[in-house]
Amino acid sequence: MNIQFKKGVLEICVLSVLAHKDCYGYELVGEISKRIDISEGTIYPLLKRLKDEGYVTTYLQESAEGPPRKYYRLTERGRKEEQDQKDEWMRFAASVNALLEGKDDSN
Amino acid sequence: MTQTEQEYIRILRNRLEGVLPREDLEDLLSDYSEHFRIGKASGRTEEDLCRSLGSPEDVAREVKATHLVKKAEKTRSCRNIFHAVIATLGLGLFNLVFVLVPFIFLVVLLAVIFLLGVAFAVFGPAAFIFSLLQILGIPSFAIWQSPLAGAFFSIGITSFGILLIVAAFYLARFFYHLGIRYLTWNIGVIKGAEDIS
Repeated sequence: MNIQFKKGVLEICVLSVLAHKDCYGYELVGEISKRIDISEGTIYPLLKRLKDEGYVTTYLQESAEGPPRKYYRLTERGRKEEQDQKDEWMRFAASVNALLEGKDDSN
Repeated sequence: MTQTEQEYIRILRNRLEGVLPREDLEDLLSDYSEHFRIGKASGRTEEDLCRSLGSPEDVAREVKATHLVKKAEKTRSCRNIFHAVIATLGLGLFNLVFVLVPFIFLVVLLAVIFLLGVAFAVFGPAAFIFSLLQILGIPSFAIWQSPLAGAFFSIGITSFGILLIVAAFYLARFFYHLGIRYLTWNIGVIKGAEDIS
């Protein structure tokens, strides 16, 4: 798939995964690359940016295996952003699909 | 192609040292260290992890561009916007056309407006003085047919020059804001040049 597409939607994918549960970096990367083929290295700078913008916070949590891991959690602001971006994406995707399938819009 | 954790981290560090604040850099590098640590603990090889991560050079380029654009947004200066534009250019061939060309066009346009303004603002008062001398009957360059009309016209030219200079500054400010927004968007969408995913 076209990499410009992927990069554009990466942010909402990250927000969406975090809306379901808090994740540590490796886990989050896994959730996303399981479905979308991306350069996984680009997710960490994105997480940093989301943190700077106040959409996520981080906390350390002990793990059974080895040292504590850095978890990412959506803030209230992040939740709202996720909802907004999701709505926007759904509307956009529906329009594009309708257009590509040549459906009549006048129903 | 990067194949080991050490090399991956080293490339990131080399490229971002002195660009990012120390604390941010260490924070970012520790994210990648954790990624390798957990990946290896789950049985993957460093080579495999590196392949999935993709090129560290691309990550570095993108982080650098994002940081410099944010810096230019926070502290407005010619130097900062210049650095931001240069860093964004590195993100791909596309940007040579879609960042460099508009940037040069705007710089030239603003320079022309500004210099025209300066020219008018200098020529206007000079012409005004010559008109006055002519009215007073003192021999000098007679540049107008009618010195009185010339005097008024000179005032007009001077005002127009000052207006152009002010306009150049406001336009520069406007394009600066617009430029920052465009660069931010651009980085979000444009891929690194040698991304092989």
